[in-house]
Amino acid sequence: MSEPETYEPKIVAFLCKWCSSAGSDLAGVSRIQYPANATPITVPCSGSISPLYILSAFNKGADGVLLSGCHIGDCHYIEGNYLARRKIYLIKELLEFVGVEPDRFRMSWVSAAEGAKYAQVVKDFVADLKPLGPQDKLKADRT
Amino acid sequence: MEKILHKERIDDWISALTGWEVLSPALEDGIWAYRPVSGAVRLDHPNTTQPPKGLAFPQREVFFSFEQIKGEAPRLTQILPDTVQRAVFGVRPCDGRGAVRMDRVFGDHVEDTYYQARRKNVAYVGLACNQPPSANCFCLSVGGSPVSTDGLDVLLTDLGDRYFVAAVTETGKALMTAANSLFDEPADADRQQLKSVHTEALAQPQRAVHNPDAVPAKLKASFKSPLWEELARACIGCGICTFLCPTCHCFDINDEVTGSAPLKGNRVRTWDNCQFPDFTMHTSGHNPRPTVGARLRQRVCHKFQYFPENFGMPQCTGCGRCISECPVGIDIVSVVNKVVEHAG
Amino acid sequence: MINVRDIRDAARDLLAKGEVRAVIGYRRGSRGMAAEPVVITAPEQADELVWDPTCFHNLALYLVEDRKFLAHSRKAPGAPIAIIAKGCDARAIVVLMQEHYFKREEVYIIGVSCEGVGVLDERKLAGHVPGTPTDAAFEGDDFVFTTPEGEKRLPAREVMADRCLECRAPFPKEHNVVFGEDKTGRELAAPFAALARFEEQGATERWDFWRRQFERCIRCFACRSVCPMCYCDECVVDSITFPVAPETTADEKANRIRWIERSAVRSENITYHMTRAMHLAGRCIDCGECERVCPVNIPLRLLNNKMEREARERFGYEPGASIGAASLVASFNDSDPGSFIR
Repeated sequence: MSEPETYEPKIVAFLCKWCSSAGSDLAGVSRIQYPANATPITVPCSGSISPLYILSAFNKGADGVLLSGCHIGDCHYIEGNYLARRKIYLIKELLEFVGVEPDRFRMSWVSAAEGAKYAQVVKDFVADLKPLGPQDKLKADRT
Repeated sequence: MEKILHKERIDDWISALTGWEVLSPALEDGIWAYRPVSGAVRLDHPNTTQPPKGLAFPQREVFFSFEQIKGEAPRLTQILPDTVQRAVFGVRPCDGRGAVRMDRVFGDHVEDTYYQARRKNVAYVGLACNQPPSANCFCLSVGGSPVSTDGLDVLLTDLGDRYFVAAVTETGKALMTAANSLFDEPADADRQQLKSVHTEALAQPQRAVHNPDAVPAKLKASFKSPLWEELARACIGCGICTFLCPTCHCFDINDEVTGSAPLKGNRVRTWDNCQFPDFTMHTSGHNPRPTVGARLRQRVCHKFQYFPENFGMPQCTGCGRCISECPVGIDIVSVVNKVVEHAG
Repeated sequence: MINVRDIRDAARDLLAKGEVRAVIGYRRGSRGMAAEPVVITAPEQADELVWDPTCFHNLALYLVEDRKFLAHSRKAPGAPIAIIAKGCDARAIVVLMQEHYFKREEVYIIGVSCEGVGVLDERKLAGHVPGTPTDAAFEGDDFVFTTPEGEKRLPAREVMADRCLECRAPFPKEHNVVFGEDKTGRELAAPFAALARFEEQGATERWDFWRRQFERCIRCFACRSVCPMCYCDECVVDSITFPVAPETTADEKANRIRWIERSAVRSENITYHMTRAMHLAGRCIDCGECERVCPVNIPLRLLNNKMEREARERFGYEPGASIGAASLVASFNDSDPGSFIR
């Protein structure tokens, strides 16, 4: 809980190209105010996320990792988000198993029409991450 | 300098070593490892899973850090090892002899600044092996002995309720002088007992390389032997044998980037391993040691042929770790014997 | 009880008739009592084969090696290759076939049932047996060791590997021929018992535990090397994918993805081990070899067991149960848990 006043968590947000990325754009063009903590990385599909991306983001210093895709049934590749749901459940369990705080990792379904939801997801995530302070369990100490 | 130290005084001796960080074998998470001393020291360990090699040649060390700001010359900052003096208690004679070999590699032809800086701050307080600490010991086959003082600064011999303490180097003498009052002068009976303990130690049965003097020439003649592939057939290509070896010293150097705006990071040396398939992999995709047989041959010939050719001594010190820990039973003693036998 | 002569006869027969080109099995090693893997190609070598409590190795690994060798030398496989497989090993072979690594008819499985016991955990033996045993044998529910001081009989349970104690499927369901009784469903210890105990701890204790484990890892990669499921030609943790040419600039090098550095430090080790656990989810059949070979005693089975239990309880998935089944992470159900998603 270091520097609770000034600490701004760094979030890496993997957003599916078809829904969540478009949703984040909508939040922007709709001028919805939300925290600027999330660095978006657009991916073809939530199902294309390798658990290694998530571990690597933490390794390279992310305080939180967000993965967002199309709602179930809306995947442009028919079943990518179904596969993601199963895979991500496992990595989420594994992260908690080794003792990483559950609030460090989050998954959401955000459609292209849900700009307001995207803003809310990020807002909530930042609020939940702040009390946790910087993430140093998986972060590389390369000195 | 030769003295007697009653066992219950060893902790006082260690406490008297001001200015030294003292390490001794500790059983932690099921393995024996050298750890900074905390509490009473009882030198009753078999041998540590890893030798004390890493104190002078750590698995990872940073040479320098770099930073490149656009439009400016790159900034390099050398990072030198710490200067803490470390005394390691309970080092087995094979590992002392391992240090001798490492010293040659990193000091003979080219002086490795980083190795030397660490090495000069490490002292080894050895412990003679009254009994072979492992069923796979074979130090006698490689010119060593369970009571060898090579590479050690002090040699302790367990005489039951006390140690016979013999200084080997000036550093060793200094370690003993630091606690002069704790030691007694050895009586004739002590010297007698030392002699008989050492004689018994030397007579303990060990694994054996047959006709060790003939090994380098026989290996040289067997470079193209099909036996290598056969002997290595079960090899899984892991790095246990070399990462646990007291004399393996191959390394890799990489730049570890820690930031990209501006570009910065560290140049890092890490242990490398000739048993990994990518050890000799070329950029082109060609691999001159493409098979497990070629890689086993490299390890065995390096220990028993190339090193003797370059330094006049086998590189292997007979600790037996690679045999005990190999997941699939590849046994360097048996491999050498078979190749030599096959060479006729 | 399995008579080793039956195994030898089967191997000899297969080789003599030319039905297989080789048999992967166990023979007496040169290091104490431990058996070692061997590939025999002539009928007369069949007498070298052994079957005892030191037959720890999951030989399915050598099917993978064989396949790689054939692919590399562009040779046609010809006759199938035979393998001696315990219950867990046979499940590993099923996973490999499920992933189309080779076809069923390319492998001849000589199944051996562990019946009421399993393999020895050498680390548990200290204090139980005087001196260094030179031989170990199965004897009902006991192990019998030959020591310098004569024969020593021990209840197998006392010195068996944990993975075997927890194993409920000691019989190789998939086989061409099989020796020993089918004792599927036996329960010597509650499955996932160690895992359940571990999970009773809080997050802080769990992290303290894993931090210590991962700091100890020396990245010898024995866990990966010994695993039949780690068959990738190039592992994500080896940074050899991107060759460096003379014209490669420092910027280019810096901006390449290096998933894991070679430094054996906690952060890199944890990324390696967690990635490996994920890659084994739904594939690990709990042969426990990774944990056995670890020279620094990292309890790797805990990670794999965690994934295995989640797969079973959440997705009803049993690794190594069926050659035709879809793999865990390439399939899904409508009912998969999703309440964690916002």
